[in-house]
Amino acid sequence: MKIPISLQINGEMYQVQVPVQKTLLAVLREDLALTGTKNGCDSGECGACTVLMDGRPVNSCLILAVDAVGKQITTIEGIGGIAELDPIQEALVAHGAIQCGYCTPGLVMTAKALLDSNPHPTETEVREGIAGNLCRCTGYVKVVEAIMDVSRH
Amino acid sequence: MQELNYWEPGNLLEAVSLLSNLGEKGRPLAGGTDLLVKMKQGPANWNGIVNLKGLTELKGIAFDGQTITIGALTRVSDMMADSWVGLHFPILVEAARSLGTPQIRNIATIGGNLCNASPAADVALVFLIYEARLHIMGPKGARKVPVQEFYTGPGQTVLEPGEILTAVEMDVPPLNSKGVFVKHGKRKSHEIALVNVAVLITPQPGTKLIARARIAVGAVASTQLRLREAEESLSQTVVTADVLERAAELAEAAVNPIDDVRSTAAYRRQMVRVLTKRALQKAWGGER
Repeated sequence: MKIPISLQINGEMYQVQVPVQKTLLAVLREDLALTGTKNGCDSGECGACTVLMDGRPVNSCLILAVDAVGKQITTIEGIGGIAELDPIQEALVAHGAIQCGYCTPGLVMTAKALLDSNPHPTETEVREGIAGNLCRCTGYVKVVEAIMDVSRH
Repeated sequence: MQELNYWEPGNLLEAVSLLSNLGEKGRPLAGGTDLLVKMKQGPANWNGIVNLKGLTELKGIAFDGQTITIGALTRVSDMMADSWVGLHFPILVEAARSLGTPQIRNIATIGGNLCNASPAADVALVFLIYEARLHIMGPKGARKVPVQEFYTGPGQTVLEPGEILTAVEMDVPPLNSKGVFVKHGKRKSHEIALVNVAVLITPQPGTKLIARARIAVGAVASTQLRLREAEESLSQTVVTADVLERAAELAEAAVNPIDDVRSTAAYRRQMVRVLTKRALQKAWGGER
């Protein structure tokens, strides 16, 4: 059974036909070619698939596409690009907080939601805020420094 | 994976009727943070999902000055941000902070944490010491069940086919009460508890006596437990190190943990004693 749905992603409406069990993550990557959102563990552990739903970070691998109807979804493609990076992306680059880069889109989305709701977080708040984004390269120190740097500007 | 059927009922009665017709073949979808993981793990004995998101009557938090009612579809992060919950039920917020990750707390619901019936659940444990009452609607009508009578085993509750948890209701505890939630795991975030403990102590005003103590432990039996004997041992007593040690020993004697990938039964049993004593000490707050 495929269900026709409309999803609002990065301000645009997309019409797709999806099986019930297909996740928002799979629709983003496979149907809409929005491959900036990464598939890591596919079970809500790693945060690589983080997108914003009505402004809040969520694991897109734990949300059925049919359940995302009526929500405003923002992906990494919606907040910056090579021509004009988001300040969070600029800070991650400047601080060397990117190595393999696989966790980066998810981290950027989480950091954006954090700073949107709390523009001047403490370091503890930053660390708690990104607790759902695993990074196996950086050890988090540079990531935390980058987010703190953005919060000071 | 087999074909799944899908429904989005527009009201509670429609959802109850759908789920009671589906029986074991149907599953209600709230946040989905547990349901989707199970769905991905392979063939299940169910093939239909009933999405509860259209049931506005299951959303929101209401407070009348004495009793708070939390809709079952309330997201964990929304409960944490509620000012009445923060003021009168602070350890509920503390336990919620240790549930999953920020992303999961933005999806997962209070009703889901209860109905998933994990013996290790953090938020559900705290409902035990606040003596929450669960509102349930089903094909035979509405009923209320005390949370301590809700669980029948790991992943098992008293919910019958077609029954839906609609809300959780709790009375504000005496204002001088002090609660503590302790979670023991190998890391600080995104952890399933090896042992979790929640206590609430109500002192007898103007004395050095405990009027009433409530103790609940998780991940150390087939369901979460209230430890009545340990609680009784503290009632109307003056707090001394010996009294707390005795309560902790009674707590240890009351649990029945298992060996699993996260811990051994022996370690869990020992940690119940240590953490119960530590939680009681912290809740009492030293000399008075």
